[in-house]
Amino acid sequence: MDRYQWLLFFHVTGAFMVLGGAVMAGILNVSALRRERPSEIVVLFRLTRYAVTSITVGMVVALAFGLWLVSDADYGWGDTWIVLALILWFVANALGGIGGKRDKRARQLAEQLVAQGDQPSAELQTRLRDPVSLALSWGSGIVVVGILALMIWKPGA
Amino acid sequence: MLAIVRPDSWNLPLFLHVLGATAVTGATAATVVAAAASQKWPWLRPLVFKTSVGVVLPTWLLMRLGGAWSDSREPIGDDSTWLGIGYLVGDAGLILLIAVAIFSWIGKRRPEKGWPEKAVVGIAGVYFVALLVAMFAMSGKPGS
Repeated sequence: MDRYQWLLFFHVTGAFMVLGGAVMAGILNVSALRRERPSEIVVLFRLTRYAVTSITVGMVVALAFGLWLVSDADYGWGDTWIVLALILWFVANALGGIGGKRDKRARQLAEQLVAQGDQPSAELQTRLRDPVSLALSWGSGIVVVGILALMIWKPGA
Repeated sequence: MLAIVRPDSWNLPLFLHVLGATAVTGATAATVVAAAASQKWPWLRPLVFKTSVGVVLPTWLLMRLGGAWSDSREPIGDDSTWLGIGYLVGDAGLILLIAVAIFSWIGKRRPEKGWPEKAVVGIAGVYFVALLVAMFAMSGKPGS
């Protein structure tokens, strides 16, 4: 394998960590929406941490090796698909980061409710189903799929 | 450098293949994690079954059909080791995924038994590693 192939492999590995982690987080998120007991919701939030770690590391790996690929291969820094991909990378991180903070508040409420007797709570259900939080988290995933499409079609290349 | 000059007609099949591959990898990881956690929290067992049947198998199908469509368009890698690894992991993987679905169904029906979920963790874990090997082969294309 030459350097280009190694760089592409690590770049794709990062992309797999991001998209795979997003699918895993989505599965656990949908499952949390269907539970009522705070203790069960806390467990699902804890399992989601594996997905969040994969997404976070994958974002850094995909960006680092992506930038290296651009400088190493015959790509231009001003190519439309590269500029758009970088913008969307920041958008995905921003959406995921804000959504993650709102999810953290829901997890903290669930942990409080566990300590107070583990009874179902309307407030917790409202926070879990908060349309802004859901739009931010799922929107971040859709933006990442958009980045994948840019990597395949390479408009402007 | 072939990736740089790929014709437009190859893009949709490749996109669907890669999207399916990333999704089946994430869904398989979710199955492993949920099955392992279900040893302590048995109420997770229906989630393991639903994930294996409702997410892993459909995304495997997307990966496999996208790959076959892509291979029919691209005259690249025929008889190569990296493409052979991709097909092996794809096709043999279906047998493993069907076994995962069966064991997760048994685990859901018999929550007092621990072995079905252990089998799910083992088989889905093996398939997860196989997917990573296939990703290495398909993206790095060693030997090409």
